[in-house]
Amino acid sequence: MDFLRPNTFAEALALKAEQPDAVPIAGGTDVMVELNFDHRRPPALLDLTRIAELREWSAVDGKLRVGSGVPYARIIEQLGGQLPGLAMASRTVGSPQIRNRGTVGGNLGAASPAGDTHPVLLAGDAVIEAASARGTRMIPAAEFYLGVKRNALEPDELIAAVHLNAAPGPEQFAKVGTRNAMVIAVCSFAIALHPAEKRVGAAVGSAAPTPRHATAAEEFLAGELDWDAPKPLLDSVKRRFGELVAEAASPIDDVRGSAAYRKHALAVLARRTLGWAWQDHLGKETRECA
Amino acid sequence: MTSVGTPVPRVDGLLKATGTARYTADIPFEDLTHAVLLQATIARGRIASIDASAAEAAPGVLLVLTHLNAPRLPRMRAFAKGGSAQQTVPALQDDRVRFAGETVAFVVAESQEQARYAAMLISVEYDEEPPAVGLHGDAYPPAKVNGQPPDYRRGDAERALADAAVTVERTYRTPVHHHNPIEPPVTIASWDDDGGLTVHEAAQGGVHMMRLGFAEALGIPRRKAGSIRVVSKFLGGGFGGKGFMWPRNILPAVAARLLGRPVKLELTRAQMYTSGGYRSETVQRLRLGADRDGRLGSIVHESTSTGSDMGEFPEPCAQITQMLYACPNVTGTHRLVRQNVGVPTFTRAPGEGPGSFALESALDELAGELSLDPLELRLRNYAETDPEHDRPWSSKGLRECYSEGAERFGWSARNPEPGSMRDGRWLVGYGMATAAYSSHTWPTFARVRIRADGTAVVRCATTDIGTGTYTVMAQVAADALGVRPGDVTFEAGDTRYPFAFPPVSSSGARSIGPAVRAAALAVRTRVARLAVKDRESPLFGADAATVRAIGGGRLARADDPERYDTFVDVLERAGLGHVEERKGYGVMPFLHSTASGIAPWPVGPLLRVATRPFAGRYSTYDFGAQFVEVRVDPDLGVVRVSRVVGVYDIGRVLNPRTARNQAVGGITWGIGMALMERTTTHPRLGKYTSPNLSGYLLPTNADVPDIDVHFLDRPDPLVNPLGVKGVGELPVVGVAAAIANAVHHATGKRVRSLPIGPAELLG
Repeated sequence: MDFLRPNTFAEALALKAEQPDAVPIAGGTDVMVELNFDHRRPPALLDLTRIAELREWSAVDGKLRVGSGVPYARIIEQLGGQLPGLAMASRTVGSPQIRNRGTVGGNLGAASPAGDTHPVLLAGDAVIEAASARGTRMIPAAEFYLGVKRNALEPDELIAAVHLNAAPGPEQFAKVGTRNAMVIAVCSFAIALHPAEKRVGAAVGSAAPTPRHATAAEEFLAGELDWDAPKPLLDSVKRRFGELVAEAASPIDDVRGSAAYRKHALAVLARRTLGWAWQDHLGKETRECA
Repeated sequence: MTSVGTPVPRVDGLLKATGTARYTADIPFEDLTHAVLLQATIARGRIASIDASAAEAAPGVLLVLTHLNAPRLPRMRAFAKGGSAQQTVPALQDDRVRFAGETVAFVVAESQEQARYAAMLISVEYDEEPPAVGLHGDAYPPAKVNGQPPDYRRGDAERALADAAVTVERTYRTPVHHHNPIEPPVTIASWDDDGGLTVHEAAQGGVHMMRLGFAEALGIPRRKAGSIRVVSKFLGGGFGGKGFMWPRNILPAVAARLLGRPVKLELTRAQMYTSGGYRSETVQRLRLGADRDGRLGSIVHESTSTGSDMGEFPEPCAQITQMLYACPNVTGTHRLVRQNVGVPTFTRAPGEGPGSFALESALDELAGELSLDPLELRLRNYAETDPEHDRPWSSKGLRECYSEGAERFGWSARNPEPGSMRDGRWLVGYGMATAAYSSHTWPTFARVRIRADGTAVVRCATTDIGTGTYTVMAQVAADALGVRPGDVTFEAGDTRYPFAFPPVSSSGARSIGPAVRAAALAVRTRVARLAVKDRESPLFGADAATVRAIGGGRLARADDPERYDTFVDVLERAGLGHVEERKGYGVMPFLHSTASGIAPWPVGPLLRVATRPFAGRYSTYDFGAQFVEVRVDPDLGVVRVSRVVGVYDIGRVLNPRTARNQAVGGITWGIGMALMERTTTHPRLGKYTSPNLSGYLLPTNADVPDIDVHFLDRPDPLVNPLGVKGVGELPVVGVAAAIANAVHHATGKRVRSLPIGPAELLG
């Protein structure tokens, strides 16, 4: 197995073009596990850890560009204020050691349906910046996940960055696990309110072949919420929202949980996170009025 | 000033915290070769063909052993029959595959990577047969259960059940558990030019017992077993999984002899699931009969666990039921159902762990039937004497454990109605259970040497399996000698040191401690004898037997503490570099005179001796009470353990810091057992589905709440001169039941199959 160590992103893209079956590796928290378990044996590894620019993030006019090599620990420390949903999801990833090494780029590259950041990226309308020697293209998160561990990248492409708006409204993320830390999600859910656009983002994780939007739930809620004169939510709205989120999922039975439990739990997570997010919104409105 | 009873920090703490402690895999060797196991991918069948030619031709490969070319190896004598093995069937002797993960080839190369690569080049074709999976087949009785017959009866439990006013009949299940120590097992075997074998082991199994195992496996006569040295200095956890001889221990020595070079085998995490035993799954049927006041008239505890073609180890679940409560009619039975899996073995709190889950859950169900407080039910059935052997306890502070635990926990605030206590959206539940464990005294020798500078070295072949033996035994010796613990070095884990039995079944403190104390007192007396005969000594003319240690390495006259001598001065005047004595404990007198530190020793007779430490006059158990608070999310079914109080009677506490560490660890294992630990087996293929720490969940810090540990710290007047019982496994016992009982109290839902999952608590 070759171990390719480019020093710049341009070099990395050239190598990837030359050897499209080289597997990119950053934190190694997914790839090394797969190698160790003998789940795959790529002809080459493309080490991205020498490329400084991938580990940078920048903010311009409330638009954030987060390099694919920024580890979860830095998202939590440095971006918690601007990207609260992503920071919440990042906090639930692995252990401190894993969060020091693991990256959102890696989460996207692996495209596991259980990846913790995916629902947040979907709910927050993230756009993935994919680069190759041929050029750069922007892929909305909703079009990025194609199947179990399959994404929309071409063989010669690498993930350069993730683009997100600084949260325009409250965001929440919740996950059910089989223990309290260092655990793969049984199911997960993210919600993002976009008050200016009177719109809601909602997405489920670990409950379908891919992470996915709960579109009907988003549309239902956008219609129900009174954005201009916010008031406490009716239980019936929360309940219906939960039902629609559960309907968006097509989970399976596995060792972590049954399909029925996942649907049930998603409805609970959806009701709860909606309650927290709307409470947050109400609080903000009240403060702004006062 | 005594050291025993004070929280002396671990002497090896800094080494371990800074990564400088040298574990077995860290030991550098010249000319070292590296081995890997290739394991069967089917659970039952025959190897139709095995082609190792590509592996043999691969770079760096030195040796490939398969059943076609491996040296003939004998069946091993079972531990239960005085031997050292749980798996009695040797590896690589025939074409049969009896379980998935059985070794089918052993590859040695210049580097581990080369060996691993070569192993992948071996092509094996199998004639597959459908494996027996699960506890579904015909049950049969094992030969023995922990040395006892498989069936136990007192009174007529069936008849008493039929006559009982209230009965509870329930079936409980526990899954396969794996030991999962952090350190993978490692064996490094090297032969010297004179035919001597040295094995460095990550061994919980006791270096002397392993020496006998190596002799047996390699055809070395017992009288020449002294040429085998086994060394094990540090252990990164064992929990039963590094006890005993397994093929993984033997094959490196076999290969090293063939190659004339040292061979190292370090298991992968996945291989740990199939190369050193596990705890069998169990199905336990409990039937309780009681009168309306809750007095038990009958208990029937029928336990079924896994039988294997590789050896026999019944999980001794019912044994705790035989001794725990004052009940006149008790039946306990153990049965096996043969499966195509490796042989199970001892796993943290064997028997008592899963057995107490069933018994203590059933007691809680009976309390519910009777509308009686679960603690009160236990008090009404308190066994003042050992009902199994009809003899007194050497000590039993269980009543105080109950009352102290209830007080610290706030048990009286418990509303008996299930589902009645809440904290916000969380349902709150209180549960409790009794803990008891039969820790053992094993035959142990120690040698204590006082050196000219007044410091002491204690040597004993035991292994510090991470419990703090290095620290605690230095304390014991220091007190007996009258020096500071920092002046004593405890050296262990080497067959060159005096014989010790494996530190299993919570036996370390109560076996090694008295031996160390006896040897230290003996050497002190020897120094005193030198002094009282020395005209220059302030002790001249005194009775050596009455000379007292007054601390600081000083020996004083009994009648006048102002007149004292010191170890340093006595040795200097006598012109001695050191003085030493060796003593044994837990051994019959005839063994004292003949057993030497280097002689091989048959395990069988020692076992028989050790199981009767009081010549049948007293029973010794460790006791405790576990109190648990859980919070259950009623919408998600998620259980969180929010508080644990454990109060334990372990006799005298030698070191509260290391003892607490043991208790917190044990309770944490109990939390894992209750809520997450489980190895799943594919129902058709008979293979473990997730042999890794991602699939086998253990509690993380976030799963473990504040744990309040309290020891009665009351010396047992009879068990041994130190008054110490056992602590390692006791705190595991009862925790899973206490959690299940608390979950029932919180939700009204009774879960009888571990681990407790969220889905069962919904709706």
